[in-house]
Amino acid sequence: MFDTDILLQDSREILGAVPVTLAMAFTTFVLSTIVGSLFALVEYRRIPVLRELVFAYKVVFKGVPMVIVIFLAYFGLPPALQFLLSSAGINFNAHETPNWVILVLAVTGCVAAFQAEIIKGALNAFDIGQSDAAYSLGYTSGQLFRRVLFPQVALTAIPDLTTSMMVIMKALSLGFAIEVVDIFAQSQLTAALNFYYLEAFVIAVVIYMVIAYIVTQIADRLEQALRVRT
Amino acid sequence: MDVSAMIPELLSALPLTLAITFTAIIAGFCLALLATTLRVRRVPVISHLADLYVSYARSVPVVLQLFVAFYGLPLLVVLFGSEDFFSPTIAAMVALSFYHGGYLSEVMRPAYLAVDRGQHDAADSLGYTFRQKIARVVGPQAVHFALPGYGNSIIYLIHNVALVMYIGAADVMATAHLIMQRDYNQYQFETYLVLAVIYALMCLIAWLIVRFFELRSPMQAPEATTKAQIKNALIASA
Repeated sequence: MFDTDILLQDSREILGAVPVTLAMAFTTFVLSTIVGSLFALVEYRRIPVLRELVFAYKVVFKGVPMVIVIFLAYFGLPPALQFLLSSAGINFNAHETPNWVILVLAVTGCVAAFQAEIIKGALNAFDIGQSDAAYSLGYTSGQLFRRVLFPQVALTAIPDLTTSMMVIMKALSLGFAIEVVDIFAQSQLTAALNFYYLEAFVIAVVIYMVIAYIVTQIADRLEQALRVRT
Repeated sequence: MDVSAMIPELLSALPLTLAITFTAIIAGFCLALLATTLRVRRVPVISHLADLYVSYARSVPVVLQLFVAFYGLPLLVVLFGSEDFFSPTIAAMVALSFYHGGYLSEVMRPAYLAVDRGQHDAADSLGYTFRQKIARVVGPQAVHFALPGYGNSIIYLIHNVALVMYIGAADVMATAHLIMQRDYNQYQFETYLVLAVIYALMCLIAWLIVRFFELRSPMQAPEATTKAQIKNALIASA
């Protein structure tokens, strides 16, 4: 039966995994946004060959479940890295790559495909007339990007980027398959010690929902603060 | 490493995966309709419960939802005094139905709200009841807005069905693990590649079906309603 006495003790242990999870999620978010932006740029500029490659990448990473990508990275990445490094003449044991690095890379690979879509949508929402106006005022393309394009595109993308932040948080929970301890894995470990499974999982559910609520609130505030008042 | 011997064995577990998927699609659709109706109509307490349900389904990892269902449902059933009948498969079906329902509700609600306000008002002024308004005016238009999101949610569902092996359902992933262990874990990478292809094909088929309906929708392309034209458009968009 559901035991409420164990909740406090368990939640203290499970809360200990929150900073690690948030740090991994943030790293993944930054990396995948960078990669996704590059992909979106390739599609926006219609660069010939790269464009088809990006399309193929997106098809592959959207069609394959994330668990499978994580397992593929787990078994495939270290040998590949070892091969690359040794052929470049660097002496480094890639088989000792920590599992969390592999997890972050795998999730980045998956989420980048979705980030590319988000950023492409935000770029398409940008009014071309504004860039014409900026050029006619003698802006260089760097200035155009920094002062006109980026502020608007970033603002348009905020709601979708929040969603993908939550997707990343959830995806990291698959890391327990390759022994990375995040909130979910910690709740499983805690439960395995004292057999109060449901209690530990309910705590994890509450933690995830609270984090989602906080992230959404921050994003909403940010969007409101940045929006140009007319 | 004989891939051709592995594929029939993997495919023999496909019916279970498909059964879980289709149960979740159908039950999830009903749940989503219910949740969306409750959220749109703004009934005081019940709407908040529906909101809570949707945020549970959307913000908690699917593995965790599976485990909660697996350990929580038997308790719930015992509480009502009946026999515990939950196998991992049934728990997976229930958990994924709830996940899919919550996710889909967040596709349906924006689609409902995206229908022009004037259409709602016009239907109301003509004296349509809520049900008539949905069936004859708002529904057909909302379906058009919802289809792309619906396709995505089906694809996510297929992805997440790959997780049911963690609560012990014998689906394609679990079979793959058996095969790998029988080969002394020598060919893990190759086996996962085969799995990736199988899942990618399933997603492709689902996407093509949804895309077909998207293009057939009269609001999308009024001229492209004959079969040959749809086929051409499908190829062009792929």
